[in-house]
Amino acid sequence: MMTLLQQGDLSTKLEQIGESLTWLLPEVTLVITLILLICYDLIFKKNKSIGLATISFVGLGFSIFLSALQWNQESQLNLFDGLLHLDKLAIILKILFCTVLAGSLIIAVKANQDRDDFFESSELNTLLLGVLIGSSFMVMSTNLILIYLSIEVVSISSYALTAITRGKKKAEAGLKYLIFGAAASAIMLYGMSWLYGFTGSLDISSETFISGLQSIDIVPLSIAGLLTLAGILFKLGAFPMHIWSPDVYEAAPIPIVNTFSVIPKLAALGVLIRLSLGLNPSTIDWPLWISITAIASMTVGNFSALWQKDIKRMLAYSSIAQAGFLLVGIVANSEAGFESLLFYGMIYGLMNLGAFYLVQLLENKTGSTQFEAFKGKGSEIPYLGILTVIVMISLTGLPPTAGFNAKLFIFSAVYETYQISANPIYMLVLIIGLINTVIALFYYLKLPYFMFLKSNSSQVPLTKYRLSELILGTLLITPLLLLFFRSDWFVDLVNSINFGL
Amino acid sequence: MGNLLSYIIFIPLIAAAIVLVLPKKLEHSYKWVTLGASGLTLTLAILTILKFDATKTGAISSESTLQLVEKTEWFRISLGSIGSFSVDYFLGVDGINLSMLLLAAIVLFIGVIASWNLKKKRKGYFSLYLLLSSSVLGCFVALDFFLFYLFFEFMLLPMYFLIGIWGGPRREYAAIKFFLYTLLGSILILIVMIGLYNSVYDPVRTGEMAGYNMSSTSIEQIQALVKSGQIETERLVKSFNMIYMADAMNYIPGSVLDNDVIKTVFGQPARWMAFLALLIGFAIKLPAVPFHTWLPDAHVEAPTPISVVLAGILLKIGGYGLIRTAFIMFPDGAYHYSWMIGFFGMLAIIYGALNALAQKDLKKLIAYSSVSHMGFVLLGLAAFTVEGVTGAVYQMFSHGLISSMLFLIAGVIYDRTHDRLIENYGGLSIQMPKFAVFVGIAFFASLGLPGFSGFIAELMVFLGAFKSSHVIGAIPSWMPIVATLGLVLGAGYYLWTFQRMFLGQFWVKSKEWLPEMEDLNTREYLMLVPLVILIIIFGIFPSLLLNLIENGMGGFIEHITASINP
Repeated sequence: MMTLLQQGDLSTKLEQIGESLTWLLPEVTLVITLILLICYDLIFKKNKSIGLATISFVGLGFSIFLSALQWNQESQLNLFDGLLHLDKLAIILKILFCTVLAGSLIIAVKANQDRDDFFESSELNTLLLGVLIGSSFMVMSTNLILIYLSIEVVSISSYALTAITRGKKKAEAGLKYLIFGAAASAIMLYGMSWLYGFTGSLDISSETFISGLQSIDIVPLSIAGLLTLAGILFKLGAFPMHIWSPDVYEAAPIPIVNTFSVIPKLAALGVLIRLSLGLNPSTIDWPLWISITAIASMTVGNFSALWQKDIKRMLAYSSIAQAGFLLVGIVANSEAGFESLLFYGMIYGLMNLGAFYLVQLLENKTGSTQFEAFKGKGSEIPYLGILTVIVMISLTGLPPTAGFNAKLFIFSAVYETYQISANPIYMLVLIIGLINTVIALFYYLKLPYFMFLKSNSSQVPLTKYRLSELILGTLLITPLLLLFFRSDWFVDLVNSINFGL
Repeated sequence: MGNLLSYIIFIPLIAAAIVLVLPKKLEHSYKWVTLGASGLTLTLAILTILKFDATKTGAISSESTLQLVEKTEWFRISLGSIGSFSVDYFLGVDGINLSMLLLAAIVLFIGVIASWNLKKKRKGYFSLYLLLSSSVLGCFVALDFFLFYLFFEFMLLPMYFLIGIWGGPRREYAAIKFFLYTLLGSILILIVMIGLYNSVYDPVRTGEMAGYNMSSTSIEQIQALVKSGQIETERLVKSFNMIYMADAMNYIPGSVLDNDVIKTVFGQPARWMAFLALLIGFAIKLPAVPFHTWLPDAHVEAPTPISVVLAGILLKIGGYGLIRTAFIMFPDGAYHYSWMIGFFGMLAIIYGALNALAQKDLKKLIAYSSVSHMGFVLLGLAAFTVEGVTGAVYQMFSHGLISSMLFLIAGVIYDRTHDRLIENYGGLSIQMPKFAVFVGIAFFASLGLPGFSGFIAELMVFLGAFKSSHVIGAIPSWMPIVATLGLVLGAGYYLWTFQRMFLGQFWVKSKEWLPEMEDLNTREYLMLVPLVILIIIFGIFPSLLLNLIENGMGGFIEHITASINP
């Protein structure tokens, strides 16, 4: 190969790489931020928190800004010779990831300093940035190797994040996560090797890959597809690869949980969208698989969440159910499906951010995330209580919150597909999915229920909240109401994405 | 006063905001704000009635029949392969919802008087009450399905807290049961809503999008263009407009709910399935046997004013929703299932009455009598005759007033002794003669004595139901015959209760109650007297209300029979 490479080829190659690099500026910014964080940590000895926080926020802000600048480019870019694929789908998700991470860091700032100081040293910040960088590459990659690598970047950072903070429980959760994750990765890699073997191509968006799969017999193709899917479902935290998530969620501090519950999940969905586009024309009944996973995730997640006594555990199971709802967009397997999935994803990010922020504020005062600890606290902190009700209603998916629109659109997309194909599985997804909302209501209302309906048992009054905390909470919650009334703002955004269907 | 209906919806909402921001020092003023807002909405509702032109008739599926219309585009979304769809802020009144609007305004106003002496967490209570008022009123006048659904769902949340915080001993259980049951119903409605808006287009906006000048092009021309395929399916603007959904011409050719081609869902015709989902959804709210089990719990635990609102208005939304959506949009499904609807109506009448007969708790008795009386609504609707459906609406209105009064009566006793068991009282007419008179009126009105509004309603339902078998054949005539048994049972439980509680020698279970057993006070007169007057007025001069209802119902029956005739 090397001998064939002429001098001219090399220079064009280098030129290409240089040009591609300019499109990677948002990620480059994140890497620079990461390095700066480490250097800052090494240079300064005391009072590092302000500096570390500033570097993190500035870095994220720059990255968002640079991504936003790329928004208006029309064509889809194939960077590094087709290794990365930069389109509006990737940009929108990357901006969302940065925003969510910034939100997580805001929660971290608010976290009780005595228990987990996130800005004491740079480790947590750098690891969180690792999750972000991995996820950003996940949504851009169409190459099997790169998908695997970026998933591993996310995973390794996540294992460390789970186990790094003090406590026996955390070590246990981290180990569980590691073992389970390593197995899932290995399985996925094996599946990917089959796919490569079938087609001779690593690029899932390429013509050779798509047409190559069409001629493969259904049995081996199904095996390869299922194995590959396993790794992605693991990141998504969807049934049947969801078992790790409640333990990890319970053990990890709230800002980290917020990151885990949104960024890798949506990144996995981004990969799934691209994989769906590739697998669609092949012989396997892709929508049926995803339908079963979606239905199972919703139902298992919801029913498990019913019995939880801890808010974080409840939210963990609920995020399994939400993964099921998000998968509905893949089930619909149409432009409307993917668009409503992204809309749902954005709203989901906002809702989770709001929910975890409030849980953090509550935990700061009571020192616990058990439901019992909030008995009758609603009358002491009515404003916070109202915000909690709004977030929970939005997570359930009732009007007048954006969660309702998200559910409405995503199930409309499934209905649309049903109307075209008349396959009853879509109708089943629609009905079971929406009925699941009723189950979800029961546990989402649990926190308002304990806050307002139960009477206060402890005599110790809560200390007052600072005004800044309440204003921030309001700012995080208002979009949920606003986007119900004007959901066209976000929908127009996702509508401009071209999925190449 | 161009936006009369908007004022009716938003005044309580603004009042709720005022109550929320008023400092705790002014706690005693919350109820005045609430009273003022309810009084204002009641005035505006009466003004709506006066402005309503009862002589104007027309097809139920045409916007020209509506009056006091407000319509502006809320948002329009284009979502990939679904295409674009628009959601309107669309309000209006016609013969179907006008009486319901009036009823809601009256009952909400009386509910505030009933809440006058409330002490616990007043700020929360009155702001939630006002939120509830706003969504209830909005639900009756919203004519866009999305808007309707917003109001329909939004009333659950305030109701949940109102029962759950200010209710009786088992309030948590009752509140969550209420919420889960009704949400299940709403979800069924939501499923149909998704199907409907994906099957219905907006002819006006579609015409505009396709480049026609809508001031010179008629809706019929656009419909013909769509039917013939000259305007492609991709260019249609889908719509949530309930009036468009009523017109079979507005269904997208080839869509699942299209009238012309029968598509199936799980082996059954899709339109029948859609009707069934709507029927169950609203039957839970109504509540119809066997979906009624949440009602006795909710009623028993809810505080008096909330029981009044629940029985007086919220149950009616079930009936109203059935008429507005299920029957008008899927008349073929309604006709197909009319036997079943009639049967469940009859079953509710008998089963509710039998249950009421067995109750020891006065409030539970009234709750089951509500189930029984709402059965008449189903029976009247199933009849498919003008008399039947008019009777059904009249029954909703009349039962709204009568059940409010009954729950207030139960509240009067409960306020004094905190006990509602029938067996703990005897000969109350000696100690509380004036109270006994009001109870007598309420009981007799509820059991259908001539001269009270309930009589007119039930009479019309029976007339329609008997006529049905030979006019249109929707329900057999043995159903109304069996249902008359419900009247006998009704007389049975009311008279028996009256005898046990009010006749004979004065006796109460506990001596401590004796000093409390005073006759009605001014506030209680203020709530009960207007209701008595209204019940009697609408019993003696039914034409006052019938004029408003009937012109809508004529069009309604025409609309549904036109589409089922072979």
